[in-house]
Amino acid sequence: MTEMIRRYLRQKLASLGVLVALGVIALVTAFTLAVSGGERGLETGFVSLLLLAAASVSKDASGGALQMILARPLTRTDYLFGRYLGILAAYASFLAACALIAYALATVFLPLFGLERTPVSAPALLRGFGAGMLGAVLPAAVLLFFSTFLPGYADVLAYFLLMIALPVPGLLGQALRKPWLERVSALAKENVLPEVRWEQVFGGKEVLGAATGRWALAVAVFLVAAAAVFSRREFAYGQD
Amino acid sequence: MLPGMIVVEAVSKTYGRLGRRTRALDGVSLTVRRGETLGLIGGNGAGKTTLLSCLLGFLRPDSGAIAIDGCPVDDLGVRARTGYMPERLGFDRDLTGADFLAFHWRLSGADPRKTAAEVGAAADRVGLDRGALGRRLKTYSRGMLQRIGVAQATLGDPDLLFLDEPASGTDPLGVAIVRDLILAAKARGATIVLNSHQLPEVERVCDRVVFIDHGRLTRSETLTGAEASRRRAMIRVAADRAESALTALTTASIAAEPGQSGQLRLADAGEAEVAKAVRVLALADIPVLEVRASAELEELFRGGSVS
Repeated sequence: MTEMIRRYLRQKLASLGVLVALGVIALVTAFTLAVSGGERGLETGFVSLLLLAAASVSKDASGGALQMILARPLTRTDYLFGRYLGILAAYASFLAACALIAYALATVFLPLFGLERTPVSAPALLRGFGAGMLGAVLPAAVLLFFSTFLPGYADVLAYFLLMIALPVPGLLGQALRKPWLERVSALAKENVLPEVRWEQVFGGKEVLGAATGRWALAVAVFLVAAAAVFSRREFAYGQD
Repeated sequence: MLPGMIVVEAVSKTYGRLGRRTRALDGVSLTVRRGETLGLIGGNGAGKTTLLSCLLGFLRPDSGAIAIDGCPVDDLGVRARTGYMPERLGFDRDLTGADFLAFHWRLSGADPRKTAAEVGAAADRVGLDRGALGRRLKTYSRGMLQRIGVAQATLGDPDLLFLDEPASGTDPLGVAIVRDLILAAKARGATIVLNSHQLPEVERVCDRVVFIDHGRLTRSETLTGAEASRRRAMIRVAADRAESALTALTTASIAAEPGQSGQLRLADAGEAEVAKAVRVLALADIPVLEVRASAELEELFRGGSVS
């Protein structure tokens, strides 16, 4: 599994386009963070996670690399969770880089140019890092799940479709005056992609709240589903 | 018969959805003995790669069973002893050759302290210079990719090798290197399944070949040993002496057919028969210019013998 995590990080670092895009996002995030004194948190946006998590399995499967790996003494689950942890490790590195840049901006560069700043506190940065990481755990699991059976970057498309589809019954319920449809929509949204206020959780509130529980369950369900689909999938290669 | 290392029993595999289903394998049964080198021969779309994919666990048969040393194909113990080379090396092209080999060495569960030494040795085996190892795979030619593919397949001297067109796209030296590696693996007792369209190479390294057509096993020929089922030989003499050579062989009760440019083909020619024919020709004062043993697989393949 360690090899899989290392390989994932290496793959992402080798892509110049991804690095440039992440660099721009990191600078913007760090600047915002430095100016706000760390109170804005590490809100890097969903795009950075997409850049790091998209096509995590499908690219290997279509390129033939997966078959060479699966011919080695490695279980499919090891490969899959290696990819998942690789996504999280890549995202953690990115967040850490953002935090470091923000700290450097706040302590060195902003005073150098005489700009007003609020001191960035290390605990605030750590809380932001933790919230950012936990906020990425579920979307990464969903993207991994879709990537186990969808080709190319269709996992990203499927994720957006899921986000769009979940409120649809609610809107229909409002239009048709069917409260039960609204309830179904709310229930689906709360359970499939539950939102947790991580800043509050880090502040000691709602640590064991209903939202946190639903979040943990959703992560587990998507990961188990990904493993189930991936372990049954067939991987053809070449031509007869 | 020795116990089979690979046992395939009535394996069928169908692709596609309802209405457009293609039967890629249709009740294939075969046994590959320990230490045997088996060649898979068939046209495009015959089912060879599907069979290899089933043997490696990438595809699951619809029916039938496959066992390697009595274990399922995805058994990790079996995989630790397996080397595999796909027809086309689809791997991270940003990796250097050395990183690629090192990754597969570590993934095979071998001693990570030996990584550098094994990577160098593997490159030497396939004739890749150390300078090339430091370059990224995306700068490699097709032939170099094939060579490094063979190098990764033979890392750690696996005793089970699955090779899919290993010499495809390589230069004559590359073909010879791949052949030597297969022969070296054979010599240390490895069991090898080779899928290749290069019939002369198949003939040179395989103990047995099976023909696959439309997903069915249509013929099996043993090429070596006392059980050899197909033994052919070609003796070439000067064109103007071919007729007298044929007469001399016929007189000595050796069945031969005349070919082009002084070639004489011996239909059933074991080592003893070939030696006898050469002796007869020498005694008749007819110089022998060339002697070649061949199973003439191409003749089988082209002649519609595969039905």
